Amino acid sequence: MPKVLIVDDDIDLLEGQKLFLEGKGYRVETAASMNEGLAKLKSFMPDIILADLMMEHYDTGFVFCKKVKDNPETKNVPIIMQTAASRETGFAIDIESPDKREWIKVDEIVAKPVQLDMLEGKIKQYLLK
Amino acid sequence: MDEKLKVLVVDDEEGMREGIRRVLKKSGLQVDTAENGEEALDSLKKEIYDLALIDLQMPGINGFEVTEYINREIGSRTVVVIVSALATVEAAVEVTRHGAFDFLVKPFTPKDLLEVTGRALKQHELIREREKYLYELNSERNLSRQLINAMQEGVIVLNIKKKPVLMNPKAEFFLKKRYTENLEISDLFPDDTVKSAIDEVISSDESESKSRVMHAGSDEMMILFRIDLLLQDGEKKGVIVILTDVTDEWKAEKDKNRFVSMVAHELKSPLAAIINYINVIQTGMLDEKPEKIHEMLDRCKTRGDALLELIRDLLYINKREAGKVEKSIEKINLKEVIESQLDFFKVQAEKRGILLTLSAEHDEYIVNADRGDLDRIFMNLISNGIKYNRDNGSLTVKLNREKSFIEINVSDTGIGMKQEEMQNLFKEFYRVKNEKTSGISGTGLGLATVKRVLSSYNGHISVESVPDKGTTFTVQFPV
Repeated sequence: MPKVLIVDDDIDLLEGQKLFLEGKGYRVETAASMNEGLAKLKSFMPDIILADLMMEHYDTGFVFCKKVKDNPETKNVPIIMQTAASRETGFAIDIESPDKREWIKVDEIVAKPVQLDMLEGKIKQYLLK
Repeated sequence: MDEKLKVLVVDDEEGMREGIRRVLKKSGLQVDTAENGEEALDSLKKEIYDLALIDLQMPGINGFEVTEYINREIGSRTVVVIVSALATVEAAVEVTRHGAFDFLVKPFTPKDLLEVTGRALKQHELIREREKYLYELNSERNLSRQLINAMQEGVIVLNIKKKPVLMNPKAEFFLKKRYTENLEISDLFPDDTVKSAIDEVISSDESESKSRVMHAGSDEMMILFRIDLLLQDGEKKGVIVILTDVTDEWKAEKDKNRFVSMVAHELKSPLAAIINYINVIQTGMLDEKPEKIHEMLDRCKTRGDALLELIRDLLYINKREAGKVEKSIEKINLKEVIESQLDFFKVQAEKRGILLTLSAEHDEYIVNADRGDLDRIFMNLISNGIKYNRDNGSLTVKLNREKSFIEINVSDTGIGMKQEEMQNLFKEFYRVKNEKTSGISGTGLGLATVKRVLSSYNGHISVESVPDKGTTFTVQFPV
């Protein structure tokens, strides 16, 4: 059973995505903050992480992802960032340029709202790699 | 001329001295005399003369030496006429070579004397006029320099070789550079943005100005550089760079963009949750658990309502900022306003066992304000005091009359905040986010709106908080 960790400060979003993915046969753990997410990772090793960007601070998601990727135990876990703070809404988030990739350690950014079957499709892609 | 022109007569022959003195005095001049060169120099040191008539042959310091002294130390302020018996062309040339204006040959008639003196004084007047003109020209230059220095814009002039030749204090301030003659263009504009625009203007055949906006001095300052060709009689002489501080505009634009981005983010977040719930229901995976579906629909409704509230708040802020909110300022009793707000929240508070208390010594706390504004302030504060409270806690509103304002304390017994969490509390879309607040909905606009509304009355709001103990908001409303 593939394992997913979702980190997002919106408890409804966590609930909806958890139920959906569980219904599709995943094992899902959720965390409502960066610290909760990091704590979960000590006992739960996911195959993929879904992370929000703006949580306690506007860039908490990036800090969280950097911590995950800097940790040798979790550095190979792919991360999909889902955020409503996308470029189309005026945020200069760009993981294409190399200098940004230096500190924005995510594998992909998707814009909220995410259609859940699309999200699952992305998860499958990463699990196949 | 009101003041008499002054003449110094230098001659070792007393008869000659006195003769000249009498003639000149009669024609309205003030005349001093000196017996020899030494005495002449003494007089010249003490007094400014318009004209000096100097005998050439004198014992001691001779006429040429006195003339040279005048030329060296006094200049054209004093016109010199040499008086001599040596009536040759060579002597005349020699005299002018030493800097004298004219030559008077002994013996001479009073008429000759007056003629030469008249010519000399005429010359003197011309010289004075020219000096005056030069002085005025100079002070006009000073004036334009003063104008340039007093400008709010920075001014830099580069010559055709792009070497800085002028920089006013404002430009020095903007670029954090002092003007010196060794300054090069690359010292002023280390990066290419402005330099390339200068190149374009200099090499262009049309005198079209170019503008660039970039940081200067620090990242906090934004400067508009306007580059114009400097032309003189149709010939390119260099460029003028005008620097305008556009930091305020830039910041306002940045704030606006940030606000719009945050609005988009805050609108999309609840939609994301709603759409995800609908996605789940649509799969049919919960068809066997209708109670779960109902739960989700309830949450969708709650989030939808919150979204609606947010949109209302946004529209209100927009209307208010545009000055389109109609206000009627009247005498209002704050106590009544707060009582009715507490009444409105009573049911919501009772559900969680929260006790609402109003503490006020007097019956009346009158302020001049718009009722809608006051409702908005206290609705937000009381609503927060309930939302962020603990179950079975309490919310106390205290009213106090002070000299120039009424102070209102809204205290809860809720989750409280850490110092660092309070820093941006009154900013749009800032919400304290931690485990304790994750289930509490809010638009992130409430306190920002309270602050905006209050400041339109010159009112003030502050906050004190202890984590896990509670928070007190203190409003000071001017009377």
